[in-house]
Amino acid sequence: MPFFNVIRWVAWKDLISEVRSRETISSMFFFALIVILVFSFSFSMDQAAARELIAGIIWVAFAFTGIIGLGKSFSAELQNDCLEHLQISPASKGAIYLGKLAANLLFMLIVEVILFPMFVIFFNLDVVEELPLLLLIFALATLGLSTVGTLFSAMTVQIRAREVMLPILLLPLAVPVMIAAVEATRGALHGDPVSLYGNWLRLLAVFDIVFTVLSFWAFEWIMDT
Amino acid sequence: MIAIRGCDLGKSYGHYRVFEGLSFEVAAGECYALLGPNGAGKTTLLRVLATLYRPSAGRFEIAGRDGVAEKEAVRAAMLLLAHGSYLYDELNATENLRFALALRALNPTDRQIKSALDRVSIGAFGDLKVRYYSAGMKKRLSIAKAMLIRPQVLLLDEPYTSLDESGMSLMNQYIAEIIKEGAAVLMTTHDRVRSAEVTSRLGVLDKGQLRQFTVDELKTHAIF
Repeated sequence: MPFFNVIRWVAWKDLISEVRSRETISSMFFFALIVILVFSFSFSMDQAAARELIAGIIWVAFAFTGIIGLGKSFSAELQNDCLEHLQISPASKGAIYLGKLAANLLFMLIVEVILFPMFVIFFNLDVVEELPLLLLIFALATLGLSTVGTLFSAMTVQIRAREVMLPILLLPLAVPVMIAAVEATRGALHGDPVSLYGNWLRLLAVFDIVFTVLSFWAFEWIMDT
Repeated sequence: MIAIRGCDLGKSYGHYRVFEGLSFEVAAGECYALLGPNGAGKTTLLRVLATLYRPSAGRFEIAGRDGVAEKEAVRAAMLLLAHGSYLYDELNATENLRFALALRALNPTDRQIKSALDRVSIGAFGDLKVRYYSAGMKKRLSIAKAMLIRPQVLLLDEPYTSLDESGMSLMNQYIAEIIKEGAAVLMTTHDRVRSAEVTSRLGVLDKGQLRQFTVDELKTHAIF
């Protein structure tokens, strides 16, 4: 199964490179930590307001942290012209995309799993009962961000102002994911019944499917352009 | 059998024509060297043949496949060793080889990898991250990659750059070996002496035009 082997090897290569260099995860982690600390001190006087806003704060931290990781995903391929190597390899470009997506998704989820307990501590959240639902929301929304983020990371990698262009292109398209993630996270943190925010979860799932399929097909064209 | 064929090939960037009307053939089992001054378009031609750039005019075939319409088949038949090493600094030599070969659905044994690394004299550094390799060692690792892939068509951009004397001999030994096996090699180079050891024909690309010579003709002509 060469297709699945390519996915596995590309994801493995990104993960092993990251484990050894720790460049992406450490920059993502420290950025997110600063966001948490700044918001935590900003709302230290008003815990009630903080609880109302916490879903938005969580997703601001997760999304911007994710952009840091996504930006490095393809810029790392510029070293030694490795991007060219991927472009002219006979491997399926869709498989390369899925391998990259898997690695990006994993990096973002690892950072989120480390950061969320900090939100719980700093903002005094009670999340034990809602944890499985919150993890589902995080997984769905992070997949949505990674799907379009991986594609735009590939699109902008050869542009001189790629660090600026990636968020400019990604954030408008990620607005539905961000709104759905914030609404679903707010509902879960308030302990609302799932039926009240189930539509947001469905929107996340549909976004993930549609954009994974679209990005899979578009990636080959982007790599050849 | 013709392994590389260019027909009226042209490449332009906007109004700037790098080359035009290039027609040439390289047979299977032949090594063809492309010479020319800096900026003549040698690397651009190689990158067109490697499917990195789309030709602005004309067409080309690699291993009998059309370079534009059958890109994937061309990529499977061809290997480009370019200026960039195409190696990942955080992976060691063995891992880099495994990754590059996996993209071609190849799964070499540990013994095959060790043997290739030994042949290019970096067997002792197989577990060392490529980050710590010199440019010459990276070039040798690229030769090891080519040895394991065994492409039908090998495109070499300045193959002797960064290599020491033994490395250059190794490169020529490898070229001689694969053309004997029926592969076609097209290289760009400034090293007429080294390239003459393995090539029978040469092309000189200058001012967008290609002039073709035999090795003997080249010895008696001032070409550029």
